[in-house]
Order: sequence, then C-alpha cells, then structure tokens
Amino acid sequence: MKPQARNASIRTLLAVGLATSLALTAGCAKSEDDASEDKGSDSAQKSEQNGQEVAEGGSTETCTAEKYGAEKLDLKGATVGFSQSEKEANPFRIAETASIKAEAKKRGVKLLAANAQSKFSKQISDVQDLIAKGADLLVIAPLNSDGWEPVLKSAAAKKIPIVTIDRKINATPCKDYVSFIASDFTEQGKRAADQMIEATGGKGEIAILLGTPGNNVTTERTKGFTDQLKAKAPELKVVFKQTGEFARGKGQSVTEQLIQSEPGIKGIYAENDEMGLGAVTALKGAGKSAGDVKIVTVDGTKSAVQGVVDKWIHGVVESNPRFGPLAFQTLDTFTKGEEVRQELIIKDGAYTGANAEADLGKAY
Amino acid sequence: MADVALGKALPADRSALLRWLRDYGVYGGVVALLLFNIAFTDHFVSSENFRTQAIQVAPILIVALGMALAIGSEGVDLSVGSVMALSTSLLSLYLGYGIWVALLVVIVGGAAVGLVNGSLIAFIGVQPIVATLALMVGARGLALVLLPQLKDVRDPGMATLGSGDLAGVPYVVYIAAGLALAVGFTVRRTTFGRQLLAIGDSRPAAQLAGLPVRRVLITVYVLSGVLAAIAGFLATARLSASDPTALGDLMELSAITAVVVGGTPLTGGRVRIGGTVAGAVLIQLLTATLIKHDLPPSWTQIAQAVVIVLAVYVARERGKR
Repeated sequence: MKPQARNASIRTLLAVGLATSLALTAGCAKSEDDASEDKGSDSAQKSEQNGQEVAEGGSTETCTAEKYGAEKLDLKGATVGFSQSEKEANPFRIAETASIKAEAKKRGVKLLAANAQSKFSKQISDVQDLIAKGADLLVIAPLNSDGWEPVLKSAAAKKIPIVTIDRKINATPCKDYVSFIASDFTEQGKRAADQMIEATGGKGEIAILLGTPGNNVTTERTKGFTDQLKAKAPELKVVFKQTGEFARGKGQSVTEQLIQSEPGIKGIYAENDEMGLGAVTALKGAGKSAGDVKIVTVDGTKSAVQGVVDKWIHGVVESNPRFGPLAFQTLDTFTKGEEVRQELIIKDGAYTGANAEADLGKAY
Repeated sequence: MADVALGKALPADRSALLRWLRDYGVYGGVVALLLFNIAFTDHFVSSENFRTQAIQVAPILIVALGMALAIGSEGVDLSVGSVMALSTSLLSLYLGYGIWVALLVVIVGGAAVGLVNGSLIAFIGVQPIVATLALMVGARGLALVLLPQLKDVRDPGMATLGSGDLAGVPYVVYIAAGLALAVGFTVRRTTFGRQLLAIGDSRPAAQLAGLPVRRVLITVYVLSGVLAAIAGFLATARLSASDPTALGDLMELSAITAVVVGGTPLTGGRVRIGGTVAGAVLIQLLTATLIKHDLPPSWTQIAQAVVIVLAVYVARERGKR
C-alpha cells in the first residue's frame, strides 16, 4: 500500500496544482470590455459632492460630546475606523466604501478599514481590532441591529464616538453611539409607488418582485409601496408578488413565469435594480418592446439608469450609498463640541426619462 | 429510458405498491402537475409557456445528470452550484478570445474542480460529502476572486445561444436532451457505466474484483464538474450576465432532489436517467405552479421542503429493502 499511497498524494498534488494554475491563468484573461470597469469608480468619486443633503424626518434630538462623555479633538490628524458589513461585491457596498474612503482622503483623516464579509462575528472582532489599533472615532455599517453589547462596552470604556450608517444599532443614542445616518427604505417604496402611479395612470394590474424574504429592506420597501398605492391609487391592483431574492437571474425566471400567466400586466415594481434588469431580460426574451410593461426599480446603479435611458425601465428611485460626506460632517461637528442630530436621513435622488441621460454620471 | 411502463399491471400488496411508486411515481407526479395546470392555470397551454419551462429546466437537468452519476457511485457532489459560479466567472474573463475559447476554459475549469473532488475521494479516502463540501466553498470563493461582481455579457453569439431556437425549440433544450441521451447511454451501454454501478453497489467488492475503482470515481466527479460547468455557461447565456454571487445558489439541492425523486437510490448501485429527467421537470413544474398561482414565497420553500422529505422517505424505504 505504501508506494500506492505516495503515488496517491502525488496525483492529488497534481490535481490541486492544476486548479491553482487555472486560477493563475486568469492573469492572462481577456474579458469583453476591460476598459469600462474603471469608469464606474471614477464617476462614483466625482459625484461625492452630490451626497451631502439630508432628507426631512427622523428624530430631531441632538447629541454633544459633553453629553456623550467624549473629549473634543481635531478631526484632522485623528484616526477613524470604518467597519463595512458586506463584501464589496455589489454596487451599493462598493460605492459606500468608496465614498467613506474618498471623504477621509479629502479631509486628510487617517482611515482604518475592515470588511466583515457578511459574518457578524467577524464584524464584532473587526471593530474591536480597530479600537485596539487606535481608532479615535468609528463609522460602522452594521450587518445586524442586535448583538453589539461587547463592542459598545469596549468603545464606551475608551469614550470612542460611533456613527452608524445605513442600518441602525439597537442601543441608546448619545449613550452607546452618537448618531445614526439612515436610508429610509419605506420612503423609497412610497416614491416608487408614485412613479408607478404616474407611469400607469393609476389603473390596471401590476406585479411586485420582492427582495429576499425576512430582510428589513424587503419589508420596508414593500410596505411603503403598498401603503402608497392604497392611499393614492386604489384602482392599481397588485396581482402578483413573488421573490426574486435581489438577484438578476431569479428576477428573470420569475418574470418569465409572470408574463406567461398574466399577459395583461401593466407594470412591475422591482425592489432592487438587479431584479428589474432581470425583468428587462425576460421581457426582451418574450419579444416585448421597451415601455410595453412599466418597470420601476430602487437603487440607482449605473446599469439600471442606463435602462431608463434606453426606455426599458420607466424610473429608478435612488438608495444613496454615499454616506461619506455626511458621516464625516457629523464627526467633525461632534468633535468640535457642537450639537449633532441623533438621527439623520440621507437624501435619495431619482431617475426618470427626464433626467436619466443627464444624471447617468451620478449613478453608482 | 425504457422506464415508462405505466401500463404494467398494478401491484397487489403494499410493498410492491411502494416499489412501483418509487420507480414510476415521478412520472405520475409530472402528469398530475400537468393536468392540474391545464385545468386551473390560465394561459398554461401555450407554446411560449412550454418554451419557458423547457428553457428554465435545462440547467437543472444538466447538473442533475452529473449528480445522478455521483449518487450512483454512492457519493454526492455538493460543489455543482459553485462550479456554475466559477464557470460564469471564467466565461466572463475569457470571452474576449471568443465564445469557443471561453467554452473550452469553462470546461477545463469544471473538469479541474471534478479532478480535485475525485482525487480527494478516490486517493485520500475523504467522504464525498466532505470533499465536495470543501470544493463548494472553495470554488465559490475562487469565482468571486476572479469576478467580484456581476458583469454584463454582450457577445451576440452568447445571446443567440441563450434565447435562440431551431425549428421552434430552443438551443439549450437540444443541448440538455443530447447530454441526457449521452449520459443515459454511458450508464447503460458502456463498461464505464457498469463499473460505476458495481462500485456504487459495493466498493470493497468492486475492488476485490479488480475494477479500476479510483479511475472510475475520478471520472465520475470530472463528468459532474464538466456538466455543471456547461450548465453555468448556458445559464450565463440566458441571463446575458455573469453573476458569480447568485448563479447556482442552492443548485446542489435542486439536483439532488431531481435525482432522488427520479428513483436513483442514495445508497448507490443504480442510476435512473429517465427518472432524473422527469425529476427535474417535476421540480420545475412545481416551482412554476406555485409562482403562477402567486402563492407566498414562503409556501414555495415549504413545498420544496415537502418534496425533499418525500424523496428522502422514498430513499429510506429503498435502503431497507
């Protein structure tokens, strides 16, 4: 058996080696359009300046360094730790991280960044690492709302101010963290409903491509949309509501089934751009023309806004990922000892036939 | 494929009934779902609808063919979904050289994953479920390293492959049918097929009989990897985009369900290709029925769970025989 076993491990090594060399040959890969890749990140940075505004709403209570128990410091020369929740594998996360990095660079702040790769336990240890590495301030994009006690304790011990972005931490503002800069997903759903009402004239049958079940973004974007329909256009009926799991492929398969069984459908509300683009592929495959079925999506990625320019998508409600300017503005004001709001809501744009072409550069 | 023998006399006692159900129940399920939809689903009987179902079932079926071979050898291949993802990443990276080069790279990639799977199982003696689980995680990771996010595919050849047809039947359906016939022939009519079944029946006995156990096992996983890679290639063509994050997600589950529902026992030693085809069609029709009737998405998940439990129940009954 001995020589055979050695033979075996040699062959396994060969196999592993083959797989590795395959990975390495990716170096000489040649994709369809390598050039267009960089353009995206460029324009994401160019449009930083547009992300400053704050929308109405949210709590109006404020917080100061004195109340929080933090010491004043000069943001310039300070070290900011940034903990991102998900892998930068989708346009939103890519643009969010890019926005934080760009703003730190602009203000001359030293930034330590970590990515939790969608694992909550990693995010907890990431943040503790950032604290240990000497972060004076923290910006956190939390993966979960709950489970932050251990981190908040170690941050409180060092009186480190925390700003959370896009998702909230379930804790006491101005005690456990300074402020929360939110996306208003319910409002995004409402504005999508307004676009759908306008596109269809407020009458007929429409479908919803839901996001991943059990996700708060799905729940809120659905609630905002259906509430607004009930209030403004009771004659616009949702006859089909299926999940596309926020993925293009699933959005396509579900839409293919939908247009077979409901040929009279007038509009499709996709709770993210990817599913909307999947619906476009399905409609194209079924021989429909642009504009036959009105598609409204939420997010504001480059491909979807291009879809608006091409008339396949009626409108896109933006979910603004550019938290950088607002987050650093908040930290700056706070560290100077002035008042900041405990909750801010980031302002989202919109893309319709009227502005899509001109604002294509703003899409992420 | 000569399994369709519904005309056989109905069995008398309970165990014979169960065996009959095991062997032919999947065809009954397909017929029942078809009848239900013809009666209760609007616009079901139309060529567009059948076309949609056929296009959607093709990747599941192709992956299930490889899975049937793995299960027939008393193994399993959990890495198939990730191989699809790897295949879409490689495709996107190499499409610049043309569609044929990209296809070749994709097939080599699938074969390489299969080779690693097979070597771990045949030489090191790692359990198939563990070896392919490792590759399931690893191949998805590699796919995301190669292509971190979704990328559009604009090649006209790919678009034709994804949505074009010949005499009203989509290309992907011809490809899936061709592969099913080829795998069916391999299992029934070749030495490799007989050796595979003998190994699945009893590996020690096959070893004693002097069969080339290792070579056969490696070939099985290479074939499974290649079939999954082809499925990934076709799925990418249909979507006109490479999406390594979502493509092939939970595909191993659909494929195992199709194989087991189709009457291939998890204990190995038998492979039913006709049943696997029907199993894949059954899953597709079930999903389509639930979506078309707009049942809440959670129901769809529950229904899929019920089918899996039924499949496992059937497998358990067979194991006791």
